[in-house]
Amino acid sequence: MSVIEVHNLTKKFGERAAVEGLSLQVEEGEVLGLLGPNGAGKTTTIRMLAGIIAPSSGSAIVADHQIPSDIERLHEAIGLLTESPGFYDRFSAYRNLEFFAGFYSNIDAPVQIEKYLKLMGLWERRENRVGTYSKGMKHRLALARALLHEPKVLFLDEPTAGLDPEAAQEVRELIKRLSGEGRTIFLCTHNLMEAEQLCHRIAVIRTHLLALDTGYNLRNRFFRREIIIQVQSLDSAISEAVKRLAFVQRMQIENNRLTVELNEPEQNRPELVKAVVDAGGRIMEVFENKQPLEEIYLKLIREENESEP
Amino acid sequence: MSRKRILNILLKEWQVLFTDVGSTMIVILLPFLIIGQMLLYVWLAVNFAGDKAMDIGVFQNAIAKLQVAIPGVAGLSGAEPFLVLLLNQFTLFLLLIPVMIAMNTVTFSIVDEKLSGSLEALLATPVRTWELLLGKALAGAIPSLLMTWLVAGVFLLVITLMGWGNLVGMVMTPVWFLSLFLLTPAITALSFLLGVIGSSRAKDAKNAQNIVMVVILPLFGLIAIQVTGVAWLNTLSALGLAVLLLVIDFIVLRIAVRLFQRESIVVKWR
Repeated sequence: MSVIEVHNLTKKFGERAAVEGLSLQVEEGEVLGLLGPNGAGKTTTIRMLAGIIAPSSGSAIVADHQIPSDIERLHEAIGLLTESPGFYDRFSAYRNLEFFAGFYSNIDAPVQIEKYLKLMGLWERRENRVGTYSKGMKHRLALARALLHEPKVLFLDEPTAGLDPEAAQEVRELIKRLSGEGRTIFLCTHNLMEAEQLCHRIAVIRTHLLALDTGYNLRNRFFRREIIIQVQSLDSAISEAVKRLAFVQRMQIENNRLTVELNEPEQNRPELVKAVVDAGGRIMEVFENKQPLEEIYLKLIREENESEP
Repeated sequence: MSRKRILNILLKEWQVLFTDVGSTMIVILLPFLIIGQMLLYVWLAVNFAGDKAMDIGVFQNAIAKLQVAIPGVAGLSGAEPFLVLLLNQFTLFLLLIPVMIAMNTVTFSIVDEKLSGSLEALLATPVRTWELLLGKALAGAIPSLLMTWLVAGVFLLVITLMGWGNLVGMVMTPVWFLSLFLLTPAITALSFLLGVIGSSRAKDAKNAQNIVMVVILPLFGLIAIQVTGVAWLNTLSALGLAVLLLVIDFIVLRIAVRLFQRESIVVKWR
């Protein structure tokens, strides 16, 4: 069941289109990563879907609420983590959350605040002023704020931007945990490794949608599937045996390493390994040459640049 | 729910206001400074130029109008009518207090929220624009109204201690009460609503303050009109002015809600 349905969503600021004709669906419990270079329209998309700004045209339904007509009820159903956490620095963490909790109906604020401060590991420092918090702590507190009212859908805008590796990893672990609870998460990020680690599907945008699929399918779409076999000593018997296999599309030899392009690596790999062993090869290692997501992303952006007039 | 949300904003704004020493000082000390300074000028004017002032044409006109409005003035001697004329201007000076407090507090309200990044998170909650603006306006308006009333009481006490106790009855006229309990709340609401408009439209607090300045000029105009004898604020005109201001307040609240463009604030302010 789709929790987010976006149809031809467009946002123009004056003559300039920040987002154009964006259509996508996000299923319940899915983590969708939105990737794109600076100014690609990621934050604008999140702001439209979170009911902060109105689209110029197109429509979107988020958690059964039509945008932009049903904003108040939409805000009861979604949580937004903005790029900059934004708190009242002179207030304690508890007081900050208490203030934001005060806008939601039907929540037991003290119970929810305690639950999420504990989940974020901030309970012990709940009475400290937020101004004394580190960036990572502020991000975790912002995540707690976004979750106070148990939203069905979470919009996370650059949740790890500007954090040190340890703090970023902590936030990523929390996102994984939230995803594990079955929440639908719309994650906007620059970090390709993060997108790959956390997201079920990835949307690449640059004003309009360039690609939307799982990391696995995107790889298959843009790059050949290659298996690399490292043997102790490579001779012609081994290479001939591999060449004879019908499913081998292409083969490359470099030192004691065979790079073999296959149609369906999952199915063909055992037979390939068997052929090498039967030809007397002593295998050191076998692995798939996975193109990093970064390569796919850069390829998409380069193609888009080339297609621009 | 609206009442709960407005109260939530109100309490947060008070916490922000009163945990900042500078802002607290403005709310508490500024009213006394304004009135104290004015009282000093009155004392200087009466003691060093009171008799001469009675001979100046514009003041004679003003005192003639004052005698019509407050018949007891006719029985006063020396510079006392001039003193009553000046003391009665405090009815209008007191109206400056909420305006000055608004300029120094509420104008920072939305600008600060935007600059700290908390506004976008706030706008992602179910709060309605009018609830947000009213909460912010009331949070400043209530303490300034209370301070104005407190200062009015202190003013009466001080003029008694300065030896002008016999004139207190000529200051506490029906216009004085109308001004304190109708005009002051109306001006307070107007100042704070304009402050909120300024704060939501301007890119920094200074520009927002300029919008509130709009209220000060008519007030000084009124004082000038009274002191120069052009006209005198009687019960009926004070009542009419109060009603007019309350209507303006309502219109300004509607305008404030319309002018508060969430999108423009979120997207354009950096």
